This record gives sequence, structure tokens and C-alpha cells, in this order.
Amino acid sequence: MTSIEVRDISKRFGETQAVNGVSFEVRPGEIFGLLGPNGAGKTTTIRIILDIFKPDSGSVSILGGEMSEEKKNQIGYLPEERGLYQDIPLEHCLQFLALLKGMTRAEADSGINNLLERFNLNKYRKKKVKELSKGMQQKAQLITALVHDPALIIIDEPFNSLDPVNTQMVKDLLTEQRDQGKTIIMCTHQMNQVEQLCDRLVLIDRGKVVLRGTLEDIRKRFASNNILVRSLNKIPATFPGVKAIEPYNDHYKMILKQDATPQSVLKNLVEEDILLEEFEIAVPSLDEIFIKVVNNIGEKNE
Amino acid sequence: MNKFWEIVRYEYTRHVFRKRFIFALLSLPLVILAMILVIFFMSYFTSDRTPIGYVDHSGVLANPIQLPESTDIFDPLLQMIPFKSEEKAKKALQADEIQTYFILPEDYEVDYSVPLIYYEQPGESARNQISRFIHQNLFAGEQIEFEARITEGTNFTLQSLDGEQEFQEDEWYNILVPFIIGMIFIIVVMASGGYLLQAVIEEKENRTMEIVITSVSPMQLMAGKIIGNISVGLTQLVVWSAFGWLAFTIGGQYIPFIANLQISTQYITRCLLLMFPAFVTVAALMAAIGATMTQSREAQQISGLFTIPVMMPYWFAMPLMMNPNGSIAIFLSYFPLSAPVALSLRMAFTPIPFWEYTLNLIFLVAFAVFTVWLAGRAFRIGMLQYGKRISLSQLFRKEAHNE
Repeated sequence: MTSIEVRDISKRFGETQAVNGVSFEVRPGEIFGLLGPNGAGKTTTIRIILDIFKPDSGSVSILGGEMSEEKKNQIGYLPEERGLYQDIPLEHCLQFLALLKGMTRAEADSGINNLLERFNLNKYRKKKVKELSKGMQQKAQLITALVHDPALIIIDEPFNSLDPVNTQMVKDLLTEQRDQGKTIIMCTHQMNQVEQLCDRLVLIDRGKVVLRGTLEDIRKRFASNNILVRSLNKIPATFPGVKAIEPYNDHYKMILKQDATPQSVLKNLVEEDILLEEFEIAVPSLDEIFIKVVNNIGEKNE
Repeated sequence: MNKFWEIVRYEYTRHVFRKRFIFALLSLPLVILAMILVIFFMSYFTSDRTPIGYVDHSGVLANPIQLPESTDIFDPLLQMIPFKSEEKAKKALQADEIQTYFILPEDYEVDYSVPLIYYEQPGESARNQISRFIHQNLFAGEQIEFEARITEGTNFTLQSLDGEQEFQEDEWYNILVPFIIGMIFIIVVMASGGYLLQAVIEEKENRTMEIVITSVSPMQLMAGKIIGNISVGLTQLVVWSAFGWLAFTIGGQYIPFIANLQISTQYITRCLLLMFPAFVTVAALMAAIGATMTQSREAQQISGLFTIPVMMPYWFAMPLMMNPNGSIAIFLSYFPLSAPVALSLRMAFTPIPFWEYTLNLIFLVAFAVFTVWLAGRAFRIGMLQYGKRISLSQLFRKEAHNE
């Protein structure tokens, strides 16, 4: 069962090919990362999924078929372009937007009360939206995306303008939603958040999918044969099985030869009586993978 | 459907329950009331209530029948004081006991001329009363209905061939009705059009479009906004009409002219029926402009252009009145923006066949539906183009739907 199935969608705006043959699917109970540098086509892809734009080619199936007015009630959306009615009290703004999601007045009121409490916004409910800080408006926007208990949540850069406390709260909230079986698509370029939250991801660059899979898969694929070592002794300049040794922060980074394994190097280190404080297989961060992939494509294209 | 009503409610309440709106709503009747009061006091205090004197040598006023008491506060009954001689009357005039005196000479019934003596010319009301007083006494003994007819002179009743329309000379004020209806229409349509324009632009400025459009359809949104803001305009209209009705009811008790006003309800109903689709049309066009423009000032300038066709029938008021079935008149009553005012004017001056009126109405309704559709489309295309204008051709292009 998939919640969203994107099949080979393309979209061109004048001279710019914004999206070029993107396909992926998202399942219930997962947080799916839609990543990419600025201008990669993430937002356009999301707008096509939500039927704001029609694709030039390809198709999207959402909650088992085409987008319909009824399905709109089951979708929570935090757009990249944040927007709330500025000139009215916060609670009126939230209520109106909740009613547009098909909630009854009573449902809307209780849902809004719960979330205002949770987001610490209760005492600002009578204030005009424009009087709230950026972070507060961001939280209010999240309330709008979540209040109607949607089956499908699409959030674009959810952590923008949030402080660490609120960031953590939103992360908890998203994990909670996932555990309830909701489908979540998260669009971001903050890789550390993706590492902590996303189950699977696609990386889009220049309108094309350049990387896809589970976080673990991707890491393995990009795992280099490197180890990080911190030691009280000085490590000899040459070492069996090691191609090069470079200082790396307060560690040494040992770049292994093709046939060497971390296991064999560790064995040698112990045998050499080198006092180890730390021994770590260097896993590339998503950030590094991101930069590597995007730069490689950039080079290829140039 | 519920969402549509929520949008209507939102648009309606956000204007109607604001101080600014209530102030604007009440200020017009209050200004008019203040003006009426000023005029009222001016004429009340400037009207001369000093009695009128007369010297009768002819015997017509030997046993004078006095004029009936008047309820009209602007035309109170002036006392008529007989004087034995012109000298006595002159003295009274000099002493300001009377404002004027008239003389019925001995040979009055030869040429019926009456000299009037005064220092300051007496007002219209005084002169009227003098002539009514003399008439009444000249006709003493005649049957009362003849007397009134003869006193007032000929009153033509013009009737159209089909007998549907009648026009009486003394109901000249009916000419004003289409003008007044038209003015009210223009004020209300421009006010609610302005609100609507603002509402759509705000949607753009607040960047709420993506949220809204993933909740409702553009057509629902636009229809809701249009009906909501029109209801604001109609609220104004209803409140103002209520004040007008109140003014007429109260005024009618003091001013017989107002009490005697007869305005055809059928005519008013037909005019109002024309107003509604035209109202939706202007509103939808405003909304479409709001969706395609990026700045409210720019949009307001453009929307000012709509005032021109709406007002146009007034520029052509003379040809319309002289020749209500001429080509200008026909053209203006089929052009959707000028139709309500033009047709109201024509209907006042010539019988319009029922089929023609119905055709016009159907045409207006169809055009209104078309403009709402257009506004929905403009919104869909324009909504995500922040800071970018969309062109008219883009609205009609087939592939526009894809953008």
C-alpha cells in the first residue's frame, strides 16, 4: 500500500526544466525525505503532488488515485511560502483554516486548543497574527498543517526559524505522527534533521532524482574505507594496510588500502601497542554525501 | 458546499463587524440626516409666518372661507387679515404686523388682476396661499372636487399603447427614480468591489494561497469571496434603504409631497433584478483583477476603469431619455456593465417588452457566471506568481491550466 506514487513527472516553466522524470513512492508510517539543493525542483514536485500544478507528463496517485476535493481534507500541508491571515487574531485565523479542511466548529476548536497548548501559543491566541514573532508564526503554520489530523502530511522546511527547543518539539511531534501510521513527506536541506528523522529519501538535483534509498543503504553506498583514530601515542607515518594518514580535527584519519579491512588495521594497532582512545569507522554524514553527489553532477554537467 | 459558506461567512464578518465598516455604514445616513436637518431649520426659520393682509373692494371676500389647516411644516397656514382701507393695511405693513397685503379692486371680476404690496417680496408659500385663498372664495358654492381640479389646472396622463405604463405629469419625480437607483447601485458595487479586490490581494500578500487552494477549489474560493463581499455591499444597501424608508415614513407625516409619492414596486423589482447579476459581474471582474495584479494600488487604479462603463448611461442620459429605443440606448442596455443603469433609465421612459427585459436579464446572468469562472481561473493561474503579473491572453490560453 502506498500513499503517494509519483510516476515519471516532468514540468517545464518556459526555458527552465524544473522537474525532469521524477519517480518515487511514499508509504504510510514513514517519514520520507525529499532533499535537494535550492532550486532543485523540490517545491515544484510537491506542488504537482498537491495538484497545484499539472505536470507536463507523468502522473501522481495520491491516497489511491487522483486528487479530489474530499482528499484535500486528509492532507496537511506546510508550504515553503509561509502564509497566514495577518490582520486577524491568531485563533480566528487557525479556526478558519481548520474549517476549510472540513472540520466542524467544535472539532476545530478542540483541535486548536490542544495544539496551541502544546506549542505554548495559548496566551497569544487573541493577538493578531502579524504581531507574532517569526518562530511563533511558524508554529501556528504547523498547527494549520496538523490540526485536522491528516493522513498525509507534507512539510516544506519545517525547522526554519525554530529554536532548538521548538525544533525538538516538532521532531517529537513528527515521530509521533509517523508512529500513528501517518504518511509524512519532509522537504529540507538540513541534513542533520533528515538523519534523525527520515526512513527513506530521494535526493533531487536539477529536476532529477540523483540518489534514493533508505538512510542506511545510502550511507553504506557512500562508506569510504576510512577509519578515525584518537590515540595517546604518535601514530607512525606508515602503517600496514594504510594508504595515508591525515590529521582530522583531534583525530587521525587513516585511509585504508583497497584490500585492508578496519579489522586488520585494528589488530595491527593493538599489536603495535598504540594506546587507543577512540577507534571509529568513518561513516560519511548525509551532508557530505549531499555535497559529493551534487558537486559530482555539477562537474559532469560542466 | 460547507466550505463555500465558511468562506462567505469569513469574508462577511471580517468587514461587517469592524468599527470602520459600521462607521462608514452609518456615516452616509447621518450626513444626509444632518443635511436634511440643516435645510429643515433653514427653511423653518427663514419662512415668514407673519399674517397677510387684504383689502377687498370687490365683495368676493365678503364672507371669506378660510383655507384648511396645514400639516405641512414648511407651508403653515398664514392668517389672512381683512383691512377696511388701503391706508390701514399700509400702516400695518409698516408696523410689520403683516408681511404683505393684496387688493381686490372693485372691477376685480373684469380682468382678475390683483395688486400685491410689500417691502420685501413674500415667499412662494405666501403667494400660493393668497392665490388659493382667492380661488377658493371665487368658487365658493361649487362642488369641491371641481374646485381642486380647476385650481390645479390640467394634468396629462400619458399611457403607453400596451397600457402597461402610465406617466402622470404631476409624478415627475419618477424620472429621478432610475437615477437614484443607479447611483445607489454604483456606490454599493464600487464599495463591495473594492472590498473584494482587497480580499483577493490580501490572499496574495499574505501568501495564504497555497494553504487555501489545498483545502478548497479555486471556484469555491472565488464564489465564496464574491458572495461574501457582495453581501457586505447588500448590507449597506439594506441599512441605507431602511434609513430611507424611515425618512419617508417620518417625513411623510409632515410633508404631504412625500406621503403622496407613488413609485411602482414592479419597476423597482425589475431594476433590482437587473442589479444583482451586474453586481456579481463587477465583483468577479474586480476579483480577477486582484488575482492578476500584485499591488493593491495598481489594482485599484485598474479597477477604477470599471466605473466608466457603469457610469456611461448617465453621460448619455439625454439621448436615452429623448430616444429610449435608439441604437445608443439599445447598445448600452446589452453591454453588461452599463446594462443595469441603462435599462432602468429606458424602462422609466418607454415600455420595454417583457421578452426583451427577460433576454437582457438572462444575458446578464450568463455573463455573471462567465466572469466568476474567469475570476476562478485568474486566481488559479495568478495565485502562485508572486510578484508577477499575468496577461489577459494567458487567461484564455488552453495550456494556461497547466501553469
